[in-house]
Amino acid sequence: MFLTRSEYDRGVNTFSPEGRLFQVEYAIEAIKLGSTTVGIRTPTGVVLGVEKRVQSPLLESSSIEKIMEIDTHLGCAMSGLTADARTMIDHARVTSQNHAFTFDERIKVESVTQAVCDLALRFGESMENEDAMMSRPFGVALLIAGIDELGPQLYHTDPSGTFVKYEAKAIGSGSEAAQAELQDKYHKSMSMKEAQILTLCVLKQVMEEKLDQHNVQLAQVTQEKGFEILSDALLKEAIEGM
Amino acid sequence: MALAQPLYADQHRPIQHQFNPYAENGGTILAIAGKDFSVIAGDTRQTEGYSIQTRYAPKVFKLTDRAVLAVNGFQADCSTFVKKVKQRIEWYRHAHSKQMPLKAIARMIQGMLYGKRFFPYYTYNILGGIEEDGTGAVYSFDPVGSYEREACRAAGAASSLIQPFLDNQIYFKNQTPAPGAAPFEPGNLPMDTVLSIVIDSFTSATERHIEVGDGLEMFVVVAPGRDVAGVQSLGAEELPALTPEGERIFVLRRDLKKD
Amino acid sequence: MSIMEYNGGSVVAMKGKNCVAIASDLRLGNQAMTVATNFEKVFPVTDSLYCGLAGLATDVITLRERFRYRVNMYTIKEERQIEPATFAQLVSSTLYERRFGPYFVEPVIAGISKKTGEPFIAAADLIGCLNFAKDFVVCGTASDKLFGVAEGLWEPDMAAEDLFETISQTLMNAVDRDAFSGWGAIVHVITPEKVISRTLKARMD
Repeated sequence: MFLTRSEYDRGVNTFSPEGRLFQVEYAIEAIKLGSTTVGIRTPTGVVLGVEKRVQSPLLESSSIEKIMEIDTHLGCAMSGLTADARTMIDHARVTSQNHAFTFDERIKVESVTQAVCDLALRFGESMENEDAMMSRPFGVALLIAGIDELGPQLYHTDPSGTFVKYEAKAIGSGSEAAQAELQDKYHKSMSMKEAQILTLCVLKQVMEEKLDQHNVQLAQVTQEKGFEILSDALLKEAIEGM
Repeated sequence: MALAQPLYADQHRPIQHQFNPYAENGGTILAIAGKDFSVIAGDTRQTEGYSIQTRYAPKVFKLTDRAVLAVNGFQADCSTFVKKVKQRIEWYRHAHSKQMPLKAIARMIQGMLYGKRFFPYYTYNILGGIEEDGTGAVYSFDPVGSYEREACRAAGAASSLIQPFLDNQIYFKNQTPAPGAAPFEPGNLPMDTVLSIVIDSFTSATERHIEVGDGLEMFVVVAPGRDVAGVQSLGAEELPALTPEGERIFVLRRDLKKD
Repeated sequence: MSIMEYNGGSVVAMKGKNCVAIASDLRLGNQAMTVATNFEKVFPVTDSLYCGLAGLATDVITLRERFRYRVNMYTIKEERQIEPATFAQLVSSTLYERRFGPYFVEPVIAGISKKTGEPFIAAADLIGCLNFAKDFVVCGTASDKLFGVAEGLWEPDMAAEDLFETISQTLMNAVDRDAFSGWGAIVHVITPEKVISRTLKARMD
């Protein structure tokens, strides 16, 4: 099929003459519509925080799931089309369990991130003899937090399948302001308590609503307890400690 | 007259042909774990039936800086299996940018053996080396992947001769400590004692088993920072390591009787 | 199914300095099922000569009685005690008589010569082929294990106490790896002066 110049952004696997994949770039744009998500690494663990947009007073805020467990030592927060993240996290979980089954050890944070990113690029038009593939790139970015033999780590993945390691990272609609704030306030020797408070402070600044325990969620990965989503009581305590 | 019988009568009987994909190539392997070292040994004779195919067929292989695998059974399966294990270890190193830990190798071997559950590799495997916590370790496998970590294990043609001896000398079976003496602790013997038990085991097996003999190769894997003067003084050859300051592997060779 | 493994059991004998030892396990089985744990397989022939029989239990008992008969006949006719080497020949010829319908038994002989004071051990296969070893002899379902351990533990010129320890350790560690042998053990150490018989405390599983 002949594609006119203006149609370069239609085929998901077609480069534009400038060497760009428009669909991937649009997917990255989709993340900027998502709610703000923050991750901070400390010497003892990683903190993840998300804003939960409660659109209606009738909405059960506990049903908004933006932080998920991958394995006992791995967690993940998302921003963008959260439905897409389910596929990715499912893949991450399978990869992690499979690694534990085959090698009798916990998978490294980088390895599970790599596995998720490998999946991110498996979109495009399927060949005739192939099974149906994914039709478009994922519209979601992830912050993958975990602990392995190299210590606590935080990774950011985007729809292009790129992953980068961060000490602190914000994604989503308020990410620019949030990232600036993180750059200002982050220091390497943070305690987990400090990291929780910084996460909440950053979220508070970029959120439209007033921050409370219903419209944010915190999670952390520590050496002692692995991945855990903070309970209502602990979240309330952290908010009060701001 | 008998000869007048038509010859083709026999030719119409069905003849069953059979291909046996396995052979048994003799030899014996053995491994003993110490506190911070591990010895993995094997003889070098290879037999088929009553004939000696070669007097030098290595059965013990270095996998990583801290892991050594001894294989015994059907030689073709043994060498194929070692190749595949080495390949998987290399893939792992590329995927996860680190050397595969011993217990991960053990689990992977389990998976590879069980993967051929219905057409097994006819191999008895013993994996020895240093665990991530720095302790000496031995893992033994059956041909379809059942495995466990132990202080010692013998496998192969003379395993029935050697294993009860090791039970006695390594696990102190049927022995009681002298009154007031400390209780026995398997897997805690000094290296020179372990090496002489290994040599004794193989000379004994050589004496009483026709498929064992010719040569003995002992791989000694040593935890990082452990004194190696003992093994060096015995004339051991050191194998090159990927990471300096890490585990070290030495090979000790001895002659066994050739008759 | 091998008939030699039908009842199970093992015997070992060793030479020391001016002493010999012979030992057996105590199991009597019916294939995998243990029937008795007091089935001694070593029998006195004279006061300084013992004979161990491992194999089919019915033949063990029959041969024990046949040897007793033939040794008694020898003692009466010759008016002297039988020498170990002579007894070995008696065993051999008794077994070879049944060359084509053998007793399913492997005998082991241990004794001290009254004439020379020399320690003597020997073993035979089920048709009487003798093996005069200078170190140790084994037979029974745990024979390969016994060979391995004995080859590792035995050393020349052991005194009676050392010989007792060596043969006990050899037997116990070998039968512990054999499903058809074990369930207790008995050891006889023969010296020119006396015979010390000890029942060992062994694994009962």
